Amino acid sequence: MGYSESTGGRKAVFNPIADDGNEYKFCSTCAFGSVCVGHGVDKIGLTELHCLVEHAGPFRTGDAIFRHGDRFSAVYAVRAGTVKTSQVDREGRELILGFHLPGELIGLNAIHTEIYPCDAIALETVEVCRFSFPALATLATRIPQIQKELFRRLSKDIGDASQRIQESTADERLAAFILNLCARYEARGFAANALRLSMPRSDIANYLGLAAETVSRVLRRFQDSGLLVVEGREVSLKNPAGLREVARNILPD
Amino acid sequence: MENRAALVAPQFDRELIARYDVNAPRYTSYPTALHFRDDFSEADLFDCIRASNDDPIPRDLSTYIHVPFCLSPCFYCGCARIITHDKRKADTYLTRLYREIEQVAARFDRDRRLVQLHFGGGTPNFLNITQMLELIESLGRHFSFSRDAGREFGIELDPRFCDGDYARQVAEAGINRVSIGVQDFDPAVQQAVNRIQSVEETADVMQGARKGGVRSINLDLIYGLPKQTPEGFARTLEQVIALKPDRIAAYGYAHLPERFKAQRQIDKYDLPDATTRLTLLQSCVSMLTAAGYVHIGVDHFALPGDDLAQALVNGTLQRNFQGYSTHAACDLIGFGMSAISRIARGFSQNAKDLPGYYMALDNGRLPVARGRLLSEDDLLRSDLIQQLMCGGVLDIPSFEARHPVEFAHYFRQSLARLQPLVDDGLVTCSSQRIETTARGQLLLRNIAQCFDAYIEGSDNRYSRAV
Repeated sequence: MGYSESTGGRKAVFNPIADDGNEYKFCSTCAFGSVCVGHGVDKIGLTELHCLVEHAGPFRTGDAIFRHGDRFSAVYAVRAGTVKTSQVDREGRELILGFHLPGELIGLNAIHTEIYPCDAIALETVEVCRFSFPALATLATRIPQIQKELFRRLSKDIGDASQRIQESTADERLAAFILNLCARYEARGFAANALRLSMPRSDIANYLGLAAETVSRVLRRFQDSGLLVVEGREVSLKNPAGLREVARNILPD
Repeated sequence: MENRAALVAPQFDRELIARYDVNAPRYTSYPTALHFRDDFSEADLFDCIRASNDDPIPRDLSTYIHVPFCLSPCFYCGCARIITHDKRKADTYLTRLYREIEQVAARFDRDRRLVQLHFGGGTPNFLNITQMLELIESLGRHFSFSRDAGREFGIELDPRFCDGDYARQVAEAGINRVSIGVQDFDPAVQQAVNRIQSVEETADVMQGARKGGVRSINLDLIYGLPKQTPEGFARTLEQVIALKPDRIAAYGYAHLPERFKAQRQIDKYDLPDATTRLTLLQSCVSMLTAAGYVHIGVDHFALPGDDLAQALVNGTLQRNFQGYSTHAACDLIGFGMSAISRIARGFSQNAKDLPGYYMALDNGRLPVARGRLLSEDDLLRSDLIQQLMCGGVLDIPSFEARHPVEFAHYFRQSLARLQPLVDDGLVTCSSQRIETTARGQLLLRNIAQCFDAYIEGSDNRYSRAV
């Protein structure tokens, strides 16, 4: 049906799946990439770490990577796509805990209870790396960099949670949310001033404690004042400094 | 969107236009409705609606409401309609229509503004004024009507079956655009197409609409009808210009009796020949241009002060099922028999017959019959064709900024198809820009067709381009 044209001419798309890595190097977005790249883990250690990684997925939109109450057996690193973690209260209301981008870890909050305390749901097509936890813990006792990385990520999770300030305005929350996502994408080597919001606006609203229409109203206002442009799910920052100014009260220094 | 280099008057080159008078889609949608599929279901429609609510800033909404009944058959008609004198059929239909509106509207988030509303047919004024006002009121309860003056709330009115007072009342209920079918005032033509309508009846409805506050009135003309002559049509054009409509649409009649039963009433020997057809179109373009109308694109003309002409200059013009519009891309919800929706990435079409439409709703289902989910390639081409149909200009760097493709490579086959049109001087093409020339203004459909991925093997199913 005349589709032959579409086989060529495509530019690299945003949020691609990471390369697969090899025994010397992890995937470019890997959660543990910094362990080997930054700290020079010896080849044997790296090979061992590689051995306990399994690629899992693809998960489709709405699929669970794990469910609340499942027995904790592994932590996962997102390779591609976005994952949301959420809890459901007794009345059936969902509370979104966070959104997890390529290179980020999920499941760390289960170490303590040995049961996953939340659902992890794919918001689009998602691929993950599964790190069997007992094996990872054993390896961590032998490779200090891995232990250090785990502690670093655990403490960062705690820090992120305390950042959700209740008294902030809708403008502040949204500006901080977008800047935070941009910074996380940038840290993984993606463009600093553009992002794709793969979560539905109702999820953004839920996470920020706002009404869905407020999310849109504030974004429209940001757009009208030249801070950013929203097209479908794509957001491009036109004035990041201005956005930081809006969020200054709740951004970390 | 691209600013049109002011308003280029179309240049009429008979030889060229005759040569390009081939079958081409009108591109009120891409892909066209011919490519909808039977495997599109109600569940797919619900997914599309959900996805449309999920955008960070969901699109504004537009609705089309189809009233399929007509009191008398016009022989040229290719619309989905039912001829009846039984006015009770309106109530039977409205019961189901209300059910459909209620079920669909509930799935759209309430903060989404309805900026466009259009009643088409059939004959919307088959509904009496009480029924019509109630329908408008009910839509206002189910959707958040925009209060912006720029909203486009339109209705098609048949002056043979309503008066100025009907037009005034719908205008007072919020309708600000009226479209009236004229086709031709020549009595011989009117007889041949079974549509007898006087200038006075038409003027009366226009006057009522204006009194009620309607911003923009459109008159429809058709060239290529049986018994049409250049002299008679020129007289019609004079009469139409004297009525001072804000917009004029001049459609070419497509004689497809094997597809449209009503057209079998037309004696093909009464149809003007190709040369006469060209003369009719030529007088249309030259007389309307001389009277100060701006060519918007394909078959549409508007006075320079009208919103459409303004949108063309500002580069905000949009193509939709009704022709052209001034609103940025909306999610379009079609209600009623045969109506088409375009929501998020999907097209959905309702059952094309009354029993099918009624049966689904009576069984608690929506009357989705066909549709299509758009691929990445469809979305790219739909954007491109939209740009070309709305101003005739495509800025390649900004297209590449919106889509992840290298234009010259991705569209290499389309560009090869475009080359003969470039050679003929219809369009210029550089690495930065594709731009229609004055010679190409009347052949936008042919230019857009070069970028249509579905065109091979689909000859002769579309109306002629000119």
